[in-house]
Amino acid sequence: MIKIAPAELKIIAQYIHAISGIYLDQSKSYLFETRLSSIAEANGCKSYQELCVKSKRDATKKLERQIVDAISTNETLFFRDKGPFELLQHKILPEVIDARSAKSSLRVPIKIWSAASSTGQELYSIAIVAKELLKNASNYSLTLLGTDISDSAVTQASYGKYNKFEIERGLDRKFLQKYFSLVGDSWKIKDEIRAMVRFKKLNLMLPFSALGKFDIIFCRNVAIYFTLEDRKKLFNKLADSLADDGYLVIGSTESLTGVCPRFVPKRHLRSIFYQKK
Amino acid sequence: MLNLSILVVDDDPVIRRLLEQRLKKANHSVHVAEDGYVAEKLLEQNTYNVVLTDLMMPGEIGGIEVLEIAKELNHQTEVVLITAHSSIDTAVEAMKKGANDYLEKPINFDELFLRLEKIANMQSILESARDLQEAFTATENQAASTIQNLEIQTAHLQETLDTVEGLMRNEEITDDEKVLQAIDIITR
Repeated sequence: MIKIAPAELKIIAQYIHAISGIYLDQSKSYLFETRLSSIAEANGCKSYQELCVKSKRDATKKLERQIVDAISTNETLFFRDKGPFELLQHKILPEVIDARSAKSSLRVPIKIWSAASSTGQELYSIAIVAKELLKNASNYSLTLLGTDISDSAVTQASYGKYNKFEIERGLDRKFLQKYFSLVGDSWKIKDEIRAMVRFKKLNLMLPFSALGKFDIIFCRNVAIYFTLEDRKKLFNKLADSLADDGYLVIGSTESLTGVCPRFVPKRHLRSIFYQKK
Repeated sequence: MLNLSILVVDDDPVIRRLLEQRLKKANHSVHVAEDGYVAEKLLEQNTYNVVLTDLMMPGEIGGIEVLEIAKELNHQTEVVLITAHSSIDTAVEAMKKGANDYLEKPINFDELFLRLEKIANMQSILESARDLQEAFTATENQAASTIQNLEIQTAHLQETLDTVEGLMRNEEITDDEKVLQAIDIITR
């Protein structure tokens, strides 16, 4: 493994912040080493500084993509902390359906966004909740979008295939049998769920108003990797992208106090969600 | 090395006996089955870390079927196939279906114990990962409940503060009234 030189730390941390928004404290030198060493070696670089220079010069951005894939954390699981999904099922979705049905007699449009979808488990969990709840799917026009900064995460999410370690975390056996098929030693999400969702690459640091307005946004456990300034900008943009009566769900240990005064927290059972003032 | 619970499935009584003795001597807990049918019953009744099964056995439940049954019942069970050299292609197919590894006949016990050690190491890593995950989840839940309470309380305090601020700016009432009303709002 290539050792990181103290003088390089700042340069690399700045470069990673610039391409991904991820802020890595300079005390995390082990993280740079364990996640970037093999990329540096495979590209014939003798130092991390050389890797940064090479990546900046690479017009195809292939190296930049590899660095983002390696540095972004893809820790996720199906139905991660049950709370938000119970919230979605018992409070948010029924309320959104009521509000939208009153406005339109045609197919009721509902737009949901998983803003840091990683390898897809969160959005598929949302899709499963929606599928279970909306028995008459043809009455609704559902848009389920998942975005992530990592190309490889987006690819895996789109494919919807999970190994036994990924699948055994969080997923109830009844959902596993109902919505997944065993392919070799892995499990693949069935087409009826797969067809409900769409994944694409997106860097949350860049403008995203082109995605339109959403009724429900899940943005969980991604802002924790950003600086306070970047968090403020992100949640401000999310407020712009949320319908006036829309719902925002953030990570269970995250807080918007001092981050975005445009949102007010509301409690439902053991969970909280946010709405615009 | 972690002691494993192992199911040996082989229709050859000599191999079955040999495997049972050697594995027990290495402090593993061992059950044996003489065919796929007995194996199926044992798999339904017990949980095994490892199933060591012959690939070719008489009857409709061969090694591949034992693999499928074991994985269906508990996907954490690792399956190692024992195969004649001529059936290596089938063994490779079995690995695609989730077998952990295969061993060629005649069984080389050093090789077998090496595989088992790898499985034991992997299972112990998985166990610590699960323990860590549990500890993390407990901590996260505790933190989440504290943070969420604070978040709601802060929002409530902010609202109170905004109301009092509005009151203080109200020029239509006297200072004394402002103080009385402010105390009322704060202690509500």
